[in-house]
Amino acid sequence: MTSPDPTTTPVIWVDETDPTTAIELGGSKMGRLSELLRSGVQVPDGFAVTTGAYLRHCAETGLDAKIDAIISRLGEQAPEAEVEAASAEIRGLFVDTPMSDELTTTLTDAYEELCLRAVDVNVPVAVRSSATGEDAADASFAGIFDTYLGVSGIERVLDAVRNCWGSLFTARALAYRLRKGISHHAMPIAVGVIELIHARASGVAFSVHPVTGKADRIVIETSWGWGEAIVQGLVDPDHVEVGKADGRVLRYDVAHKRIVSAFDFAVGAVTEIDMPAKLADRQVLDSEQISAIASAVRAIEEHYGHPVDVEWVIGRHRRAGDPVCIVQTRPVTVTSSAEEAAPAAYDPVALAQKYLFSGKPIPGR
Amino acid sequence: MANVVPVDEFATGEWYPGYKPEHFEMPWIVDPASPFKPGDEQGFWFLDFHWSRGLTPLAATLWSGDGYCWGTQHAAESLPLPPGRGVTARFAGTHLYGCALPETDPREIGARANRIATNLPHFLQNYRSIWEGGRDELESTWSYFRGVDFAGTPDLSDLLGQGRRYHKRAMEIHFGVMYPMLANFLGFYGACADMGINPNEIGKFLQGEDTKIMETDRELDRLAARARQLGIADVFDTHEPHELRAALGRHGGAASQWLTEFDDFLQIYGWRAEATCDVGVPSWIEDNAIALGLVKTFLKRPEDHDFEAAARNAMAEREEAIDTARSGLTKEEQAVFDAGLESNQAANFPWWQDDHNYYIDLKVMLPLRWGCQELARRENADNKDDMLYLFWPELMDVASGRKPYQGELKSLVAERRQYFDHWHAKRSEMPKVLGTIPEAVEDPILIEIFGLNPQSIRAVQNPDAKSQTVLQGVAAAKGTARGTARVLQSSDELHRLEPGSILVCESTSPNWTPAFGKIAGAVCDGGGMLSHAAIVGREYGVPTVTATGVATFSIGDGDEIEVDGTTGTVTVLTKAADRAPASEAAAGDGAQRSSTIGSVVG
Repeated sequence: MTSPDPTTTPVIWVDETDPTTAIELGGSKMGRLSELLRSGVQVPDGFAVTTGAYLRHCAETGLDAKIDAIISRLGEQAPEAEVEAASAEIRGLFVDTPMSDELTTTLTDAYEELCLRAVDVNVPVAVRSSATGEDAADASFAGIFDTYLGVSGIERVLDAVRNCWGSLFTARALAYRLRKGISHHAMPIAVGVIELIHARASGVAFSVHPVTGKADRIVIETSWGWGEAIVQGLVDPDHVEVGKADGRVLRYDVAHKRIVSAFDFAVGAVTEIDMPAKLADRQVLDSEQISAIASAVRAIEEHYGHPVDVEWVIGRHRRAGDPVCIVQTRPVTVTSSAEEAAPAAYDPVALAQKYLFSGKPIPGR
Repeated sequence: MANVVPVDEFATGEWYPGYKPEHFEMPWIVDPASPFKPGDEQGFWFLDFHWSRGLTPLAATLWSGDGYCWGTQHAAESLPLPPGRGVTARFAGTHLYGCALPETDPREIGARANRIATNLPHFLQNYRSIWEGGRDELESTWSYFRGVDFAGTPDLSDLLGQGRRYHKRAMEIHFGVMYPMLANFLGFYGACADMGINPNEIGKFLQGEDTKIMETDRELDRLAARARQLGIADVFDTHEPHELRAALGRHGGAASQWLTEFDDFLQIYGWRAEATCDVGVPSWIEDNAIALGLVKTFLKRPEDHDFEAAARNAMAEREEAIDTARSGLTKEEQAVFDAGLESNQAANFPWWQDDHNYYIDLKVMLPLRWGCQELARRENADNKDDMLYLFWPELMDVASGRKPYQGELKSLVAERRQYFDHWHAKRSEMPKVLGTIPEAVEDPILIEIFGLNPQSIRAVQNPDAKSQTVLQGVAAAKGTARGTARVLQSSDELHRLEPGSILVCESTSPNWTPAFGKIAGAVCDGGGMLSHAAIVGREYGVPTVTATGVATFSIGDGDEIEVDGTTGTVTVLTKAADRAPASEAAAGDGAQRSSTIGSVVG
């Protein structure tokens, strides 16, 4: 395949673009999906509305000038209230500014193509912001931009795309760029439109312990339905730890899960509702599923060569032996300090120093 | 800001009648023992549970001088402990307070850390030869003393000097082994806890090894079974321990046969004192009533304790605990755990903590006691234990003939007896801690043996401890029990325990073990997962909570209490004063108890 011209290619497909181009045009989130697919990991089908499409939209509709006018009023130390007002104003502009007919047609065609591939009408999709620029992979931007789950029908998809564009200007993002002296022109935003996997269970998984940094285990947190309730911290998820070397389940703590992210057909979106009582205390994952998640996480960590966290979904139609579906991955945001790393061997002197002569209480006593 | 409990009340310069500072002049390594002095509030002092009776002048000398200010300080310097220099001692009346000596110079701590990095692995690699070598050396000296004819030795001062050297050497060996074993064990403990292993399980990994103390208990139980078999159990039932020897003798026949077997038992197991490292209490050989009382206690059990089944259970529980712990560890962690377990099974601290008492703590004071009793005989003293009320230089003066035991010295001893009894009665009011109280301590002996964890350190500072009804401690042996609290000051009061009582005390030691056959639960001020009460509580299936800090203070004799050995919680349900009259009568025997120390020491 040839490298598309970023200024003229409004849409690129996850499975039809090489990872380098995908990152350049589709942002880090979409780029990594392409990359994962290339490395043999199962990812959902979908396309990215490129940074080129975004830039052209801003230029052609006069948004650029209006945004710059609003931002130029803000100083580096602008008070929170002013930043929030500017954010609301800019996001309002994105909502009120329609796409060009040409772009609307292109996106409609792409969405119909996705429906065709899924053999579905008005296939529900996840519309996810996918940031670009040097800082895009930075933890500071994790969760800062908008994501819409379960968007169905082209009108809603187009609205969601414009909302994602606007989320480049959330108050948090604006304040961060002002503080760091980064121009929003340096990090145009792409938007992923991805088939929504009908989730039986989903969750996150870390290739190292996210709190202690121990690299000898994979930690999985999971609940029924979609992963939003977990990512947003709305539900206390089941906690699973798996030995990285031999894949043994080290512990499985079943949580009382009170909230579930479920598809609301009336609204046409995934929303958070009360967990059905009979599911709340039930163990989410069986050993086969745990092992499938762990092997995907191991493969992704090996591919990147550094610790990762991933969001995964077990689709309603997944059968034992099938891979799990990975919807997102990024470098893990916790680094293990040398002190916290698991000891490599039994060293009585080091252990006595650490636990007995450190001036701190011995753990567990 | 650190809480400071003043020591002024005890730093008056007054001590035992006739005490002069030169009486306590003896070699020390870092800090010498003494009565409390002004300025001592800078240290953190804890009331030492080992000597709840109080200590006579000679007993005070032996432990504070040879044990803490030589033994621990010597061992802490030679291992060394990087941030600590051993334990020192002060006296408030007859009661001993210990204090860990911190090393604060960062450069020195670094240098010490380098030294322990060489010495600890060396010790662990050579543990068997080091401990067994030391033990055999002490046993060899012990055999020497057994062979000495005390009555026929002209110069008792020389013999007493030899006894003192044996005692001091025993303390060097004791702490020279204990510190590195504890450092290894607590490092393993910390690693286990950090790897997510339930801390309550860690003690189980090392349980089930036979010790000389358990062997003694088995032999006592065998003697009880033998008494039953010979049809003389009713003799035990109808006589108090101090009457038993005579009663059995009068009974004749099978009872005489039993006494012969009992004496054979004593020749092997009877050379042990009634308390840890206290020259002031007799051995079982000297006072048969102690061992006979234990047999009487064993006979009160409805059935024989199945030691073999208990040992099998302990081993099965150990293997299960290890398997469960390992299954939750990664492969990498299993490698650390397995190596740590192997190291700790080879140099098994919990095992040693029980076993060594037979060779050291219950024995090494006895030659000095014999020497003192022989001297008393020669000097026509009123009591055979008079010499235990002398300080070491005074004792040497009497033994060498420089000063006769009469007049002034004799009346001093009489006054010192009164002083001892006065302070003995005050034991329950003694502050548990004095001086500057830290949040945590680093000396492994304080942590593990005294149970000075952050929680118990907080507990002893609670100004409302007396009225508190819920206590938290270490969950040492699982299960729940309700019953009447019997608050015992020392093992002299073990006879007050009835079947179903809940034992409340500062701490237990090996001579308390048989009591666990009849009590429903146990609560201690001190100790930890591996203290005597914890180990025996698990072995006998008696719910036990240790390291509460203040149980003997908060719980009154006769209170109705609940012990939850699974969570480490002790709850006072009904105070003795609020209970029905019938129960009050039961509690009354506690109130009536008088000082039994005279009969034991005398």
